[in-house]
Amino acid sequence: MSLHTAEQSVAGRAVPGQEDLAGSTAGRSAVPVPEAAGSGRRAAGPPKIAIRDVGKVFRVRGADRPFTAVEGIDLDVREGEFLTLVGPSGCGKSTLLDLVAGLTAPTTGRILIDGREITGPGLDRGIVFQQYALFPWRTALDNIAFGLEAKAVPKKERQDRARHYLDLVGLDGFGQRYPHELSGGMRQRVAIARSLAFDPDVLLMDEPFAALDAQTRESLQEELLRIWEKTNKTVVFITHGIDEAVYLGQRVAVMTSRPGRIKQVLDVAFDSREGDLRADPRFGEYRHHIWTLLRDEVAVAQEQERTIG
Amino acid sequence: MADTLTASGAQAPGGEPPRATAPGAGAARGDAPTADDRATNFFKVTGRTRTPAVPRLAAAANRSLAIVLLAGAWEALPRTGAVDPVFVPPLSEVLLAWYDLLLGGQLPEHFQASLLRSLSGFGLAIALAIPLGLAIGWYRPLADFLSPVLELFRNTSAVALLPVFILIFGLGETSKIVFVFYACAWPILLNTVSGVKTVEPLLIKSARSMGLGPFRLFQKVILPAAVPTIFTGIRLAGAYSILVLIFAEMVGAKAGLGYLIQDAQFSFRIPDMYAGIITISALGLLFNLLLLSVERRFSTWRTT
Ligand SMILES: Nc1ncnc2c1ncn2[C@@H]1O[C@H](COP(=O)(O)OP(=O)(O)OP(=O)(O)O)[C@@H](O)[C@H]1O
Ligand SMILES: [Mg+2]
Repeated sequence: MSLHTAEQSVAGRAVPGQEDLAGSTAGRSAVPVPEAAGSGRRAAGPPKIAIRDVGKVFRVRGADRPFTAVEGIDLDVREGEFLTLVGPSGCGKSTLLDLVAGLTAPTTGRILIDGREITGPGLDRGIVFQQYALFPWRTALDNIAFGLEAKAVPKKERQDRARHYLDLVGLDGFGQRYPHELSGGMRQRVAIARSLAFDPDVLLMDEPFAALDAQTRESLQEELLRIWEKTNKTVVFITHGIDEAVYLGQRVAVMTSRPGRIKQVLDVAFDSREGDLRADPRFGEYRHHIWTLLRDEVAVAQEQERTIG
Repeated sequence: MADTLTASGAQAPGGEPPRATAPGAGAARGDAPTADDRATNFFKVTGRTRTPAVPRLAAAANRSLAIVLLAGAWEALPRTGAVDPVFVPPLSEVLLAWYDLLLGGQLPEHFQASLLRSLSGFGLAIALAIPLGLAIGWYRPLADFLSPVLELFRNTSAVALLPVFILIFGLGETSKIVFVFYACAWPILLNTVSGVKTVEPLLIKSARSMGLGPFRLFQKVILPAAVPTIFTGIRLAGAYSILVLIFAEMVGAKAGLGYLIQDAQFSFRIPDMYAGIITISALGLLFNLLLLSVERRFSTWRTT
């Protein structure tokens, strides 16, 4: 058990039953992570997810050259940590997530979970996609139960668990609605509940809140943190919002423009998460730091897009 | 309903069935009401949302107004002599002839003969075309293998093939059922193929990420996602099954509504002819309503 994880779970248990958001979110990472920023590697204990020199090349129709989406990615994600991933548009964030999900195989390199190389998708990883990927012919509850069916959980238990997770994302009473009868924010919550319901160790989220308005996004961010603390899952959260990355992440991984690599991994720690975190001067410092890192990359990415056409 | 009428009306029966992309197919997971949905709502007389009695009555009156006007014109024009009453007898006479045919037992007999043939061909088409369509949509090699042949036959009008069917299967029931089957199979087959092929890739990805194997994926994602598109094909086929059958019965038969119409015309029993035509329209309408209600039961998630 890693030092950090231990601290994490102790902190999580130290505030039992404290459901109010400010109180519970204060429980996390108040103590700075005792590792050098940007190292990405850990001295003790195997990482939950180990991405080793991973590259992905696509063959594009009608193009003579293969297309390198990501290259030489090295990143470790610790057990129970909340890692956010930012990078310019088109740098390969979703590609990387698909690789970790096992939906596509890397062209080079290896991805290990708990020290074992992944061979395909599995219920140890839950994914929330960039676009809402709910099954339109299933009600909210049946959508949440989908992964449980795949896991062959008995029907009664399936229903109970689906209802539990529906409540967890604050949608009790909406269980019988079809996706088209829900708002965008509700749909994304159902998607989150669906990936939580089959209890994966790892939650992979691809810009889940990007399409939402600011208020909904903020409340879902807080909800997600609350759920994360409750469930102790390892979260990899892609975003293009720097604020979101700093607000949610214990660490923020910044990617370069395409072919995407990890440019830097930044530890984010606040003395206290009470009150308006975004007004904390350190929040501004982190924000500015990441912004500076990204600025050059975004310029390169835009130039690339222009030349490729 | 409306789309089926236009689709079947614009199409030579059994000719080239419209690509499944035309009606309703794009609405496979439509959040916004599509033309198809609105058409479906047309018949929602007993909708779940109960509107007060008076507006409901008004709406019903409005809906039947055109029919009433048509009936009135049919009655009045021949009587005033604006239309030759020999060729177009007034509606009341036609209805009287219809009633006589009903009591005389001819109408039930012909009706039954037609219904049996069209249901057999239609049922056969559903039973064979859906599984085949699913297989073609799912297994790429099978699609590659079959598509040249399918393209060829799809562009061969069923009507052109009727003589062949008669040659092979004789003038009896078999040739007619095969004929109906052939005409019905295409819209079902093509819609099923496209229904399977146009399943939102993200849904497949999402299901795969939850560890579903190919079989479960097919059962839990591909099939339910394709249901609305398949139903569009089934409804088109339902209309075809009656359309093409009447044609076959006019060409060579001793029973059936098509025969009744043709025979009445030959022996100059004009009111009987119109009685037959009305019966066919009613049958077609009824069939479509039935299919619509089945469709709604299977895809509640599409309509609100
Ligand atoms: N299946 C594919 N075939 C070919 N090229 C692909 C494929 N998937 C992604 N790409 C390319 O790989 C690059 C990275 O795509 P990806 O979706 O991972 O970007 P992203 O970082 O998630 O972008 P965004 O922030 O806009 O979502 C893009 O240039 C894209 O065009
Ligand atoms: Mg993306």
